[in-house]
Amino acid sequence: MLETTAQRERVLKLLEEEGGVTEESVRRVAREANVPEAEVWGAGLFYTLINNPGDRVRVCDGLSCQMAGADALTERLESQGKTCERVSCLGQCDLAPATLDEQMKLVTYEGRPTGVTPDDPELPMNLGGEMDRSYAGLARAREMGAEAVIDELEASGLQGRGGAGFPAHFKWRSLRSQAETERYIVCNADEGEPGTFKDREVLLRQPHLMLEGLAIAAWTVEAKDIYIYIRGEFGNERRNLDRAMEEAREQLSCFNWHVVDGHGAYICGEETALLESLEGKRGMPRLKPPFPTEQGFRGKPTLMQNVETLACIPAILSRGGAWFKGLGRNEPGTKLYCISGHVKTPGVYELPLGVTLDELVEAAGGYEGTPMAFSPGGASSGFLPMDQRELPLDFKSLAGAGSMLGSAGVVVLNDTVDMAVASAWQLVFFERESCGQCAPCRIGTRYLRRQLDRYVQIGDPASLAQADDVGWEMEEGSICGLGMVAAKPLEAARKYFPEAFETRNSNGSSKRG
Amino acid sequence: MSEARQLPEDELFEVEINGRTCEAREGETVFEVAARQGVEIPVLCHDTRLEPAGACRVCLVEVEGQRRLQPGCAWKVSAGMKITTESDRIEKHRRVLYGLYLADHKLDDAGLPVETANANQLRMLAEKTPPLQLEAVEAPRRGRPEDENPYIKFDPELCILCARCTRYCDEIEAVNAITLAWRGSETTISTAGERGLLDTSCELCGGCIDTCPTGALIEKKAPQILPAHAEKVRSTCNFCGVGCQLDLHVVDGKVAKVTSPPVGETVNDGNLCVKGRFAYDFVHHEDRLTEPLIRREDGELHPASWEEAIEVAAKGLLGVKERHGSDAMGFVSSSRCTVEENYLMQKLSRTAFRTNNIHQCAAT
Repeated sequence: MLETTAQRERVLKLLEEEGGVTEESVRRVAREANVPEAEVWGAGLFYTLINNPGDRVRVCDGLSCQMAGADALTERLESQGKTCERVSCLGQCDLAPATLDEQMKLVTYEGRPTGVTPDDPELPMNLGGEMDRSYAGLARAREMGAEAVIDELEASGLQGRGGAGFPAHFKWRSLRSQAETERYIVCNADEGEPGTFKDREVLLRQPHLMLEGLAIAAWTVEAKDIYIYIRGEFGNERRNLDRAMEEAREQLSCFNWHVVDGHGAYICGEETALLESLEGKRGMPRLKPPFPTEQGFRGKPTLMQNVETLACIPAILSRGGAWFKGLGRNEPGTKLYCISGHVKTPGVYELPLGVTLDELVEAAGGYEGTPMAFSPGGASSGFLPMDQRELPLDFKSLAGAGSMLGSAGVVVLNDTVDMAVASAWQLVFFERESCGQCAPCRIGTRYLRRQLDRYVQIGDPASLAQADDVGWEMEEGSICGLGMVAAKPLEAARKYFPEAFETRNSNGSSKRG
Repeated sequence: MSEARQLPEDELFEVEINGRTCEAREGETVFEVAARQGVEIPVLCHDTRLEPAGACRVCLVEVEGQRRLQPGCAWKVSAGMKITTESDRIEKHRRVLYGLYLADHKLDDAGLPVETANANQLRMLAEKTPPLQLEAVEAPRRGRPEDENPYIKFDPELCILCARCTRYCDEIEAVNAITLAWRGSETTISTAGERGLLDTSCELCGGCIDTCPTGALIEKKAPQILPAHAEKVRSTCNFCGVGCQLDLHVVDGKVAKVTSPPVGETVNDGNLCVKGRFAYDFVHHEDRLTEPLIRREDGELHPASWEEAIEVAAKGLLGVKERHGSDAMGFVSSSRCTVEENYLMQKLSRTAFRTNNIHQCAAT
């Protein structure tokens, strides 16, 4: 049984090695892995990097890259005879507009300064400091004992940094309480929320903190195998991770480490879709319950944590949960805020959880132009108007405002942006990345994108007459978080910027788009 | 579910559905308990033979204490659970969800999902709860128009992606010929290499047609719309000894289509094989033998009575035995025979002709 499962888990990697999905490659992989041909075909076509590999320039069409002129860049590249494909956010929003070249290597064009919080040893992750290779937290964990580790985690109040903000210690405790002893640790490094590039920075600057966090987790919940599912487009990050694992071979040696590449599907950042993908299947989210802590990878109890969550753990153990908690404002700890769009020095800044937009932008060198709106936590968080700039950027406050902190991928939009067009950019993303499993999301994302396109083209608000009802159903009826939030950008833009959705003449808006 | 039924009495507990208290057992789903109470929860992607998928979202209900609506087909009941299956919220959910489905579906002049010979459950739902009117989304779903298999047709414009067909092919038949492929609004039902079904592992059992709720998968050779006076006649398949029950759809005295009786009613539990479902042409075929024939001295076959025919056959067989001995003979029985017929055949072989050379074509 296990052997069959393990064979299936190889399918996506084998397809990638074959150079993508063709009738012949599918036949060979099916034979090699002993998985039915149709399933190999169906799984492979789900993933952009397997379905559509090949030599071409991949131009990011995330919000920040769009605002930085990704359309014009595409035209320019095409006029130079290059073949281009527009792809979902590449997580390089600070370097916008970003592309991957024919060899999947990152190429950027603007050359403007980007930033990161300067070296400060008082920061748990301290991205600007020396790479922390001490593994002191792991040593401390071994001294303390598993229960004390979880108590410390509870005292720290650490909330999952992947987007949901769920207290981490609940999951750890749940894992330890499972009767099943075959348990897994999975690190979600499939960062893909438009506007977000914080895990990227952890992987590049402090990979050992994440590895240490994983080792502590595995030791605490008594798991042997650790899986790191890393975004397929993260070439540099993957190389850096491999290097770090080599450096720390001794410290990491008590566990079995598995690094698995993603294959180009945003939805695999959703934890159960990620598990499906790890198992070599289409990345379609599962119904919950059961939750991964009960039945996760291979149906066994699985602890899944985001890169940043894990990177907080060494400092929590070395310096204490209370210390970590005290670093935040209304909510515990520091947070890696990504900021891009119309600011002077976009980047990742480690600040107390609950800073305001103005404080964050101050760290990023100030606004560029006259700010009009901001998206506080990735595409999924919609937009907020500048009169909410005083709102603490934390999980509770933003949820209270009908938005969310999510992955803290903050994007600032100034008054040169047409909010209808900006919403359309976000809707393109959700339509493209919907897994297609449930109707509210599969049909809803397409419906909204088409109706908004229609409005932008002809300027008739009647195109959007049913958008509220459709958005409502997407939130109520979708299986997973993607469908639930996919209407948010349009909903919020219409709520806060109604003037951008009034009747327009055929010349459209004077603003960019 | 069958396991749940075997639990002792003390595993029974009470739940409340629409304010009415009813009994339930550990392991049962909201849908199962509701069905027993006569409370109808609409479903599209649910087939009791399959693991619940919760994918069509039609069966969403309110469960007290749950912020989100939950799929009745998959949600397990627990003691004291309070479930609501009809409310303004659920009504609105259905109205908009059906609207979305219709925006992605082939519609007739009345704006309703196209009716097929295998009905269209989406149409029935839309007739009951008027859907929100939405502009069509024109999803780029691919079919396999080149598929030359003789029996099964797929119309992507009638497909709602409930995946009952692919799950059936996997979970029940373990054939895995069809799969969901691509992603998002491009998602469709595909085969490896988009090959015709004849070039896949497909056994053409047609179970995918049977489970399809909207008629997106349909028999190629049956009438696309069954006339109103079509009659359903229950019969037993005579292709093998299993005894699968068939429903013959008879139009003007002729079999126009064969389906399985509903799941749970007969030994075949809703399933059929390629022969039972599709190989009914012989019934009305002009070459079919309908009376005994004897080859006379002119070398031609001539109609005869049963008595005459049996006598000729018996004489011929006895002649072989006399001339060459018993073991010069061999008897082969057909897998289309019943157990009783097979028994009689070996009796004939061993007792009447004194040879153990008896075989049955399904035995190897």
